[in-house]
Amino acid sequence: MAAGFVGFEITWRKDVFSGAPQAGSAEKFGTLGINFRARKAIGEEEWTAALTALSCNVPAQSPGFSQRRV
Amino acid sequence: MSDHLLEEQELNVDVLRQAIQEEYAEVAANPEKGFHFHTGRPLARMLEYADEWLAGIPESSIESFAGTGNPFSLGEILPGERVVDMGCGAGMDSLIAAKKAGPDGRVIGVDMTPAMLGKARRTADYMGLTNVEFREGYAEELPVDDGWADVVISNGVLNLMPDKTAVLGEMARVLKPGGRLQIGDILVQKAVPESAKRKIDLWTG
Repeated sequence: MAAGFVGFEITWRKDVFSGAPQAGSAEKFGTLGINFRARKAIGEEEWTAALTALSCNVPAQSPGFSQRRV
Repeated sequence: MSDHLLEEQELNVDVLRQAIQEEYAEVAANPEKGFHFHTGRPLARMLEYADEWLAGIPESSIESFAGTGNPFSLGEILPGERVVDMGCGAGMDSLIAAKKAGPDGRVIGVDMTPAMLGKARRTADYMGLTNVEFREGYAEELPVDDGWADVVISNGVLNLMPDKTAVLGEMARVLKPGGRLQIGDILVQKAVPESAKRKIDLWTG
């Protein structure tokens, strides 16, 4: 997560706009209320570890994958 | 000017801020008017605020509550902790935090809408709370010292900020290392077209 936060977690989501007195754009975009939390990394080491954990390894070649140029 | 050219224009942050201020000044002055979001005590119940949190908080603050989530469900505010409430509005969440943080704790509520800040300050004075203060400012430039806060809370505000990276950076700046972010906000399940992001009325409605 941006700005040095770790442990991002959405804990709750709910339609909090239905039935509001005025019509808005919430329904059009499927807008939900949410709660989320995160924690500022304690230091550079924790932040670096969090960034490393975010990286993913893509297999170089999987069965049936043709290496053609596009 | 054609609609096409209007869509090509960049979002004007000053115009957006003005529109948001006008909308929320109305929530402060006429909370019973009816908006495109719920307000007040019924909203607090919908968002699962405990009755005991609201005990002792005057209706003048609760009636202008317009959050979209519940920051207090994400972790306890402990006695003695320092809390920043970004976009505090009429101050309901700041006042709850002040009650939880107790006399050894401290809460700073920040908002850009003077009408909301006036309401929040009057309510805190009425309650005799000396551990909470309200400061005028923008989320992108929080008037709070570096590393001051144990917790940053916010409720229904981040979605109104065009530069969310800047706001998150400010939240990180004011937090101590290991400090917590406890946020109520919104998510959209359908992609918002780039052209729609430049329409002020969609930001406020």
